[in-house]
Amino acid sequence: MAAPAVPAPSFTTTPPPQVPQLPTALTRARRHLPRLGALAFLGVIGYLVIAPLVGLQRLAFEDDARGYSAAFDSPDMAETLRTTAGMALGSLVIALVLGTFLAWAATRLPPRLRLLRVLPVLPIVVPAVAAVTGWAFLFSPRPGYLNAALRNLPWWNHLDEGPVDIYTLPWIVLITGFGLTAFVYLFVSAGFGNINAELIEAAQVSGSSPAGVFFRVTLPLLRPVLVYGGFVALLLGLGQFTGPLLLGRNNGVNVLTTDMYVAVSQSPVDYGRAAAIGSPLLLFGIAVVLFQKVILGDHSRFVTHGGKAFRSGGRPSWVAVTGILLYGLVALALPLGALIVVSLSAFWSGRIQPSGFTLDNFRRVFQESGITDAIANSLVTSVISVAIALPLGFIAASLLLKGRRFRIIRAAVDFIVAMPLGIPAVVFGAGFLLTYSREPFILYGTRTVIVLVYVTLMLPFATRMQLSGMVALGDTYLEASRTSGAGALRTNTEIVLPLLRPTLAGAGALMFVLLTHEFTASLLVRAPTTQVMGTILFDYWANGSYPLVAAIALVMTLVTSVGVFIAMSVAGSDIFEKL
Amino acid sequence: MSHVRIEGLTKRFAGKPPAVAVDDLSLEIEPGEFIVLLGPSGCGKTTTLRCLAGLETPDEGAISLGDQTVLDVRGKVNLPPNKRRIGMVFQSYALWPHMTVRRNIGYPLRTRRVPREQARTRIEEAAELVDCAALLDRYPAQLSGGQQQRVALARGLAAQPDLVLFDEPLSNLDARLRDQVRAQLHELHARLGFTAVFVTHDQSEALALGDRLAIMKAGRIEQLDTPERVFEEPATEYVAGFIGMSNRLPLRRQGEGWALAGQPGADGSAGQAVAGELPVPRSHSEVAARLRPEDLQLCPAEEKPPAHGLALPAEIVDAQFGGRHMDVVVTIAGSRLHARAPLTGKPWARSLSRGQQVTAWFARDAAIYYDADGVRTAGHAPAAAVGA
Repeated sequence: MAAPAVPAPSFTTTPPPQVPQLPTALTRARRHLPRLGALAFLGVIGYLVIAPLVGLQRLAFEDDARGYSAAFDSPDMAETLRTTAGMALGSLVIALVLGTFLAWAATRLPPRLRLLRVLPVLPIVVPAVAAVTGWAFLFSPRPGYLNAALRNLPWWNHLDEGPVDIYTLPWIVLITGFGLTAFVYLFVSAGFGNINAELIEAAQVSGSSPAGVFFRVTLPLLRPVLVYGGFVALLLGLGQFTGPLLLGRNNGVNVLTTDMYVAVSQSPVDYGRAAAIGSPLLLFGIAVVLFQKVILGDHSRFVTHGGKAFRSGGRPSWVAVTGILLYGLVALALPLGALIVVSLSAFWSGRIQPSGFTLDNFRRVFQESGITDAIANSLVTSVISVAIALPLGFIAASLLLKGRRFRIIRAAVDFIVAMPLGIPAVVFGAGFLLTYSREPFILYGTRTVIVLVYVTLMLPFATRMQLSGMVALGDTYLEASRTSGAGALRTNTEIVLPLLRPTLAGAGALMFVLLTHEFTASLLVRAPTTQVMGTILFDYWANGSYPLVAAIALVMTLVTSVGVFIAMSVAGSDIFEKL
Repeated sequence: MSHVRIEGLTKRFAGKPPAVAVDDLSLEIEPGEFIVLLGPSGCGKTTTLRCLAGLETPDEGAISLGDQTVLDVRGKVNLPPNKRRIGMVFQSYALWPHMTVRRNIGYPLRTRRVPREQARTRIEEAAELVDCAALLDRYPAQLSGGQQQRVALARGLAAQPDLVLFDEPLSNLDARLRDQVRAQLHELHARLGFTAVFVTHDQSEALALGDRLAIMKAGRIEQLDTPERVFEEPATEYVAGFIGMSNRLPLRRQGEGWALAGQPGADGSAGQAVAGELPVPRSHSEVAARLRPEDLQLCPAEEKPPAHGLALPAEIVDAQFGGRHMDVVVTIAGSRLHARAPLTGKPWARSLSRGQQVTAWFARDAAIYYDADGVRTAGHAPAAAVGA
């Protein structure tokens, strides 16, 4: 008989039984201590997440909503909205199709090639700024390496530039879609893992062809995962910043995020207008988070099916192997290859000259104090942020899992913690810039403000990963500890934390990776003297120092790879699936 | 040793409508007594146990362990599990995988601040008790299921708690191991005399271990009695069904005798007079006889059963070979009944086939008769097996 899983280690510590009728002031205070603690925690994360958003909206509504009229009366706004929606939906479709195909392909790999499963995830290791610059080196209309190569083909040999122009919307959409594919792949792979193999085998012995099994059984079973992953990809697509900024900005391709950046980075700085531009993204993000909480329920996606793990049943497929390898080549090898070539060259031209290769660019990266400072800043702020986000996430996850007594506080924490996932980083960046450039906290230009925005952005990851770790741990280990006479504190330090160690290590490493990548929010809160890797790369890009850009991008990738390697060796190769 | 008192315990789980898991339950447990809570899943037995442990927050009631009030909902007392002097053994063992057996067993001693040297000897004693002294420096993952459960047992007993709680501790073990660990547990209790509450849905486990059994239904105790009395004189039809009297035969008073009250079958046997007098008071006109499969006998249709037997026309539905006996399903007036026909010296039962007409009979006092509300009718002499 499974008692409903209400873990009620009621820590409403009551007075000793000898004096139950005389609750002293002290014991009464102790009884309310957990609630006060939960409230204080809610206050802290509430301030972190909400204060910047409220600050922005207040400015936007100032002077009869001047910010809104400035933003939405502009003749270009309709075009910007169309572009934003088009980019989000276009990249979503690309990511859904590619991601589902790759997830299916990963289940059909021959045993010897099982390692290829990680290939579709690896593009996450390459920072977005690095990937985008890599693509630009390949497909820039005139000096792009692949364009130059394509112009050798007979039917294109009359062209002076092209045939591909990476600086146009369709190509920006395609690259964005590639970037989102890895996320969809992660969700769908996890979904495949949760499908009981016997369901597939039952369909096969009932006479379904492989295609029939896929479309009539597998795909319907994946629907919840596809819906959830699709929404996440859509939100990421709407908040996409790096591609449009680096590729589209100079060509008149504007989306909401880049407009917002321009409004706060070019004089005259207009926070009100920036806030108003970000509002559609903010509202949509909140709507999706609410939808997910209400419709999908809270922990349903952590529930795994019993029975055997997924086996696709069919024989290893060479379509699958080819597909994954091809994707790896296109999404990973090509842009990285371009980066390597440019970083070794003295300057970027359409021709590759191995004889002129030099390590000068890397030497400069490690000699110029601006760049080394940025690298140091990235590492230090990321480590500190992880060290802060992990405990915050632990508290939030504990509260979500066990704080059923504090119904309202729990719901609020649940919502607040999810917000940074739904709302684009550019909105948070602008909000932090505004909030921490004025009283009571003037932190602009310090590492502290970077740490604050990083911690905020990492709240969803820190919480979700630890929550799923705790759910997987179950209640029994904790109950065994409590009935053995241990209090809540000892149970946490001697039982929960040691058992969660792989989860903590995995979460920490993953957040480190995401933070050393971070570009969008960093670009908004950085100061000329306080840079991180992504922002310094952008500055050199804007100056046209392309070989140096390529070298910095590779260094960023290397730092991230080390992080991922550590994460996987500590936490197992499935850490990304716990997102 | 402790005197455990549960008074008016009620626990509801939120839902629409709220589910009452434990319903105004009261129970007193003597020091050193081994109480088994027995019932099907969903009857509230595990919830009751978890309320004793402090793992659930009950809605009403009071619990005291010895002189310690651990729960008093009205007095706003609800001690957390770690403030109660208990030990608990879980169905899934719940041995912490990151600690050695020694640290697992020693954990309740450390939380209770037992001095190091003393703890050391007590860990070894506890391990000795369950034959795990050689395993002290292994990790749980290196142990078999039976060993893990014995270590869990040692952990539950190590701190010599006032009350030891068992949450279906044997149900994850395979049949052979289950019997071994069960015997060991019984012996331990006889030796150490701890007070225990043991939750199970397995009747043989309950009969073997309990000083008293509490058979639970829908959050209430249906019968609380010694294993012998529960087995021989189930107070209600529900208990009878749960304790192995799986055959149910509805009977209606007809004139001076009794008739089968089942659905009118094609064979016309329903409504047929079957018996003279039954050991049932005159005030009852409808009863249900409850009967164990062993007590339902079969003989060829033309043979006549002994005079103390109640003969019924039956049709064979299926017969399975069971070693020394046949498991036979028959229909009697539309009711399916299960007979266990011994094969020793009676090869006739081996040849039963579907559709065959036979006579089924049982001794009048081997069955127990229940009224329309499922309560045992008075005037029934205890079955012979109990002894005078």
